[in-house]
Amino acid sequence: MNLFEPFTIPYMQRALVEVLVLGALAGAVGVLVVLRRLAFVGDALTHTVFPGVVMAHLLGRSLLLGALAFGVLTAVLLTAVGRHRRVGDDAALAILLTSFFSLGVVLISRTRGFTADLTVFLFGRVLAVDRTDLVQTLTVAAVAAIVLAALHKELVLRAFDPEATAAMGYRTGTLDLALNLLIALVVVAAVEAVGTVLVIALIVVPAAAARLLADRVGAMTALACLLGAAGGWLGLAVSYEASVDHGVRLAAGATIVVVLVGLFLLAAAVAPLRRRRAAAGGHP
Amino acid sequence: MDPDLVLVLRRATVAYDRDPVVEGVDGEVAAGQSVALIGPNGAGKSTLIRAVLGLVPLTGGTIQALGRSPQAARRQVAYVPQADILDAEFPVSALQVVLMGRYPRVGWVRRPGAADRQVAARALAEVGLAERASARFGTLSGGQRQRVLLARAIAQEPRLLLLDEPFNGVDALSQDLLLAALARLRAGGAAVVMATHDLGLAHLACDEVCLLNRHQIGFGPIGTTLTPELLRATYGGQALQLRGDGVIVARP
Repeated sequence: MNLFEPFTIPYMQRALVEVLVLGALAGAVGVLVVLRRLAFVGDALTHTVFPGVVMAHLLGRSLLLGALAFGVLTAVLLTAVGRHRRVGDDAALAILLTSFFSLGVVLISRTRGFTADLTVFLFGRVLAVDRTDLVQTLTVAAVAAIVLAALHKELVLRAFDPEATAAMGYRTGTLDLALNLLIALVVVAAVEAVGTVLVIALIVVPAAAARLLADRVGAMTALACLLGAAGGWLGLAVSYEASVDHGVRLAAGATIVVVLVGLFLLAAAVAPLRRRRAAAGGHP
Repeated sequence: MDPDLVLVLRRATVAYDRDPVVEGVDGEVAAGQSVALIGPNGAGKSTLIRAVLGLVPLTGGTIQALGRSPQAARRQVAYVPQADILDAEFPVSALQVVLMGRYPRVGWVRRPGAADRQVAARALAEVGLAERASARFGTLSGGQRQRVLLARAIAQEPRLLLLDEPFNGVDALSQDLLLAALARLRAGGAAVVMATHDLGLAHLACDEVCLLNRHQIGFGPIGTTLTPELLRATYGGQALQLRGDGVIVARP
């Protein structure tokens, strides 16, 4: 299988840049999602952003802006919900998630030929990414990366010891909002590439795999970025080869996710061996 | 206010929805002094600690830490929670946990520098864990983890230290090392307030005691305040646990 040849074609090049950047960014943000056990919140965010994407499409405006507006709104809502214990986090999240998502489906189903549009929003269309889309993705990714780098040590502290974080004078509510906004930014950036349903895999799977292999947040983050980018690259190469050389149509976005899960399974298989080797080596 | 006083409480009261959780706490802690907060479960010890940290608002009375409100004094106040509430699988080393104590001084965006690392390394050595600096936090024993959390507080260079049951489930060696580190902190001028169930350790580590059972029953030198009658008033008919040796049951 050729890992380089498909990428001499311009649309494949753009798709590659898109998935490399998204994979790395989602991996880095995913580390915090996995450490804080926020995968469900992350998933909820991907569903609540959906009506924003639909509305932007119906109004003929940039999908990115629609997703961004709803991303910010829902990040604020989810942070507020997370801090009130009455209803129970899961129940409140499930209500938000399903109601927003249904709103999006209702809106889109009023147009003719809606199933095609729905598929794009849900599963992405990375091979149709043009120069403008790429620039938008890179801009959003750059903003997210800067915010993540600036707040990283405080976000890790909050993940490890929320009580001490508050005692040291940090506002944990603001930190939680910042992380939710970061997740929302990743979802927004990924909407056109892999769609809202699959972006959660990009966020969670590389970080979960890295968690199995790394004992430090730094190493875990580097590994998650690497795995995220590698999954994107391999997924594109595999789906290209399948469709061009073997006539089998594999959706690029979904293939990337399958590759990522494969990498996770590989990590899961390697991890116990690593632990045994470390124990035999007499680590303290 | 006397500059030597690190903590002043005047009829401090905390209530949730008009239901007082702890009320009428009145006392002073000077630099270098150590106070044990003693009382049964639910007495309000943790709530009082959170009030001194400025994490819960007072509904009555005042608290002044270093002459300021609790929120304003936070930079000079360090908190040591119980180690067993933390995630043992978290991918962080002992030294990295101690380094977290430097974050408020480092500030936003910037990373800890060489000077911060030195302070952290020294704090870890103070609690006898220098050679475990790169061990993952979760691989340490309970007592060692508690020592790491104290080292994190030491790295904050505080003038007031608050500890919540620091000796719970801690091995004897760790206990001795914790006591020694606390003594050094006090010698350096820091004041210590610790919630504890262990009356024997309270005698070893503290010179004052505050007896709580939702309201203050006594606050003063340990010799004159930790008396059988006041203990009976604090604990009601419950059992009192002495260090390892046995149990006294106070008759109602």
